[in-house]
Amino acid sequence: MRTFLYFLLFMFLAVVVILMAALLGDLGAWYFAWLVGTTMIVLISAAGAALLDTQEEQAAAEHAVGGVHKQP
Amino acid sequence: MIDGTVVDLSRAQFAATVLYHFLFVPLTLGLSFLLAAMETVYVTTGKPIYKEMAQFWGKLFMINFALGVATGLTMEFQFGTNWSFYSSFVGDIFGAPLAIEGLMAFFMESTFVGLMVFGWERLSKGQHLAVTWLVALGSNLSALWILIANSFMQDPRGAAFDPTTLRMQLTSFQHLIFSPDAQSKFVHTSIAGYVTAAIFMAGVSAFYMLKKRHMELAKRSFRMAALYGVMATIGVITLGDALGFVAAQAQPTKLAAMEGLWKSEAAPMPFNLIAFPDQARQDNKGAVQIPYLLSLLVTHSIDGTVEGVDALERQATGKIENGIPAVQALKTLSKDPNDPAALAQFKAHAKDLGYGFLVQRYAPDLNNVTPAQVQQAARDTIPPVAAVFWSFRLMVGFGLLMLAFFVLAVLYTLRNKVQDKRWFLIAAVWMIPVPFLANEFGWLVAELGRQPWTVFDVLPTWMSASTHSVGYMVFSLVGFVGLYSIFIVIEMYLMVRAIRQGPEPHHGTGDSRPQPRPALAPRPLPAAVHDTNLEG
Repeated sequence: MRTFLYFLLFMFLAVVVILMAALLGDLGAWYFAWLVGTTMIVLISAAGAALLDTQEEQAAAEHAVGGVHKQP
Repeated sequence: MIDGTVVDLSRAQFAATVLYHFLFVPLTLGLSFLLAAMETVYVTTGKPIYKEMAQFWGKLFMINFALGVATGLTMEFQFGTNWSFYSSFVGDIFGAPLAIEGLMAFFMESTFVGLMVFGWERLSKGQHLAVTWLVALGSNLSALWILIANSFMQDPRGAAFDPTTLRMQLTSFQHLIFSPDAQSKFVHTSIAGYVTAAIFMAGVSAFYMLKKRHMELAKRSFRMAALYGVMATIGVITLGDALGFVAAQAQPTKLAAMEGLWKSEAAPMPFNLIAFPDQARQDNKGAVQIPYLLSLLVTHSIDGTVEGVDALERQATGKIENGIPAVQALKTLSKDPNDPAALAQFKAHAKDLGYGFLVQRYAPDLNNVTPAQVQQAARDTIPPVAAVFWSFRLMVGFGLLMLAFFVLAVLYTLRNKVQDKRWFLIAAVWMIPVPFLANEFGWLVAELGRQPWTVFDVLPTWMSASTHSVGYMVFSLVGFVGLYSIFIVIEMYLMVRAIRQGPEPHHGTGDSRPQPRPALAPRPLPAAVHDTNLEG
């Protein structure tokens, strides 16, 4: 039941997004570009932070492995 | 007739108010979405460092937001106090977006700001994230409505002048909110705010890295700011080009001033990289030109041309001559709104009504207008060229500087080496004022370039102001500048103090898992609830 309610919610959101895209794409292309562009900028910025976490974890792992090799 | 000094002082007061206010607003617009980005990472990865980042930058956001609201309030009141004729002339159109802006700013945005600040321990992670996104959306939607109102002043669409009520009335809300100027101005201004926030965040993070303090927070904040900033800067330049393209259609006099274009030329037109415009002589001194570039920039074609000041003044002369009968008919209609001859005369000349108003400044008796007075009014249609020309170049120059900065910032941060580039970190701190200056110059281009109109081609500035005394205007101007200068000092003090204090210590490093939420003690119910007899 919970999954079904979520399904309905996301379907509703999808329809709203499609309607907004159709309406804004026709009347206000720059507004539509702002919505899409802002979302993209925020998500790429967030992905950059997640990538830094991975880089740091990898660097820490390599450092640890290097430390193990140095041991007699 | 309103004293010219009063008009100039009213303009100076409004400019001072907006320029102060516009120091705060772009940072709010951009920082709100960066907070949303940080919290999105916190909710999806569960790493407490991102919560700490969102809370720390959220504190700086709040300082800026509070002072932004304080400086913005007076701006809206000034329309009524200092621009009363303007307010009565276009209030039917201008009032609607301003009212919606008020609702967005004071109801939606402020409500969610409160939930964002006080809701960390009261809302679930998902709910708090939704609130932060709504703060970002609300801030930017608030800006949307004020920019829709502003775009009406730049390119009045969706309205018509009614000769019986003697004011402009809304004919199409759709045309008002979807006008090309409103759209391109909103996206350009909003994304300029993203650039401002990204430079601010990168600069403060660089400061921490230089001091070797809060490195986990600083490296992550710098990475996010660099990526956010590079994309936003590319966007703001692209959208600035779109805005220039729109201005070329709607406000050719502003475009001519931006480009220092005194004489119309054949294509392909050269671009004045540097020049020293002389308004009295109507030419440039010491011009350094780039061949072909102006045609390409403004018309996106090598064969395209735009009109210079000479052609625009000639056109204005014809419009003034056509507008005079419209104003004469309006005077008759103000006494008898049903006079058929006056109505017919008005309709025949209505499209140039504003130009008829323009010449009234020099010829109060429109039955005896001399060619010299028409010529003088036609010259007035050209905005102050040197100020617009240089403001535009400084804005663009700062924009390109920020693009270069962000490209380098992305290169260094993606290699995770930025903390080792001491010279670049110092440069990042010095970059902090640059977007604020670019924003101020952008505002000057937009608003000085609109002169001599408050509503372009419709209502001249000289007749829009209220009939205050010079003494009153000087007193209130000094008061506003003094008060706002204090606000700036308060903002700087609070920001510097918060940055020096740094973030609240968090539990663990970037790799640590989320801490369990502390259980909240049940809140005691108020006495009134205990006493309520639900069964009646």
